[in-house]
Amino acid sequence: MQGEASIRSAGEIPVSSAARANESLHEDTTAKLFLISSISYFFIVGIIAVLIAAKFVWPQLLGTIPFLTYGRLRPLHVNGMLFGWLLAADMGLMYYVIPRLCGVRLWSEKLGVATAALWNVIILGAVVSLLMGWNQGLEYAELPLPLDVMVVVAWIMFGANIFATVATRKYTQMYVTIWYCLGTILWTAFVYLTGNFAVLFTTGVNQANLNWMYVHNAVGLIFTPVGLAIAYYFIPKSSNTPLFSHKLSMIGFWSLAFVYVWTGAHHMLHGPISQWLQTIAIVFSLMLLIPVWAVVYNFFATMKGQWDQLRDNVQLKFLMTGVIFYLLTCFQGPMHSLRTVNAIVSKTDWIPGHAHMAVLGAFSFFAIAGCYFVVPRIFKTNLFSESLANWSFWLLLIGGVGFFVTLWLGGFWQGWQWNNPAIPFIDTVINLKPVWSVRFFSGILMFGGIVTFAYNILATMVGSKGQSEKSLPV
Amino acid sequence: MKDYVYPSIFFAYFFFLILLIGAIFFFFRSFKDGYWGAEGEDVKYRMLEDDGDGQMSRAATSARGESSNKKDEAALKR
Repeated sequence: MQGEASIRSAGEIPVSSAARANESLHEDTTAKLFLISSISYFFIVGIIAVLIAAKFVWPQLLGTIPFLTYGRLRPLHVNGMLFGWLLAADMGLMYYVIPRLCGVRLWSEKLGVATAALWNVIILGAVVSLLMGWNQGLEYAELPLPLDVMVVVAWIMFGANIFATVATRKYTQMYVTIWYCLGTILWTAFVYLTGNFAVLFTTGVNQANLNWMYVHNAVGLIFTPVGLAIAYYFIPKSSNTPLFSHKLSMIGFWSLAFVYVWTGAHHMLHGPISQWLQTIAIVFSLMLLIPVWAVVYNFFATMKGQWDQLRDNVQLKFLMTGVIFYLLTCFQGPMHSLRTVNAIVSKTDWIPGHAHMAVLGAFSFFAIAGCYFVVPRIFKTNLFSESLANWSFWLLLIGGVGFFVTLWLGGFWQGWQWNNPAIPFIDTVINLKPVWSVRFFSGILMFGGIVTFAYNILATMVGSKGQSEKSLPV
Repeated sequence: MKDYVYPSIFFAYFFFLILLIGAIFFFFRSFKDGYWGAEGEDVKYRMLEDDGDGQMSRAATSARGESSNKKDEAALKR
């Protein structure tokens, strides 16, 4: 499987001695640790995901064993995927990208290793606490208070390392990836502290409002900017083509910075919050189309004349499919904020369909592409199997599309049934069983994609010991 | 029991205000630093070379031109 010809990375370019010398500038120990652990969690939490999808179809599955009930597995799935896989993978990729864009070493590799160790302690602590039912009971903010404090400490360590690296950069002007990364660090501080600490002192409607501001901004001001940071770096790098317009990317960045924070209340439409707050959330949600247009147009224009590279470049397949999912999910968001649409889809399966397309379809696809790009380089070897990488792409794509489409259609159907007072609630649950069956089988396909991806990456890491530097891919 | 609802909401909005002020400051600062000027596009060519593990495509090289290389060298802090 590992023949030289068959495993060549697409767009492979001979490596100059200067490039090798420059590569030796970077240790990448922190990036390695974050990527190894995040990909492992992706696989482990993927098993949890399949289990809870199966529970929709077979509610009696696993009986009444407390730590295997839906109420405990679901927060573990959400937190494991968000913080164990995606954010950790994004952090690992930032530890790789930022020093290179700045032309300097990472400020402190020791601090980075300590951050990786602390992050793993947090994730393992989360597994134990959530399975034991120690849960704050707030969406996306389920982790107990001591773990929240540790997250803040780890984030300060991460932020200090990245900011100090950027402060010592060789070049005055910063590429857009650095802007998004710095934005992520600052916005996460605001979003996380508000959503996990300030919210504890509120009650009733105010607590729900603050919680939904956190939930929406966790996606919009944490995973969106760091995901775009990755896409802005790896699309030009993987296609070996300059970005269409850096100024347009700046418009996207600043419009995101000024618009996103107000949108969370659109999850509370028709609820007991002020009408003016609902209207503001709708207006700012619609204004999100500005940064989305700026980002997506930039990426498509970058690929103009380069689309043929998608035939044999698996990183670009993930990246550009992720861009399409990003476009779709960011069209859904503003539409969901309209009062008429919201009256049907709010609280239905449409919402997890939308959230999965953002977090899995867009940002996880970007992170997977980044892993396929980075891991062979930092381990100075070739990718274990190009064909396995393609399998992971198609399994995740087909499973993902099946999952998203099923939940959107099922969610609409569910909403229409809920709006008909003649239909008893239990009938709407029974009616949705076929939808949940498709969801489960789509989940099996997606898990197959995760397994092939994780195996491919870990086999690349393990196989790197026997590789010579002559085979360093580009 | 003391009601902490309003102090915590004010805390959240105060935090948001700090970030808003920071965003406005750095937005206007980005004009001063040349991100919106004639040389605002140079950085996208340089990123293809920064880690030294890629060679720019012919299209990228010709689009950038030789003059940009000199500008980048001048932009180096050290």
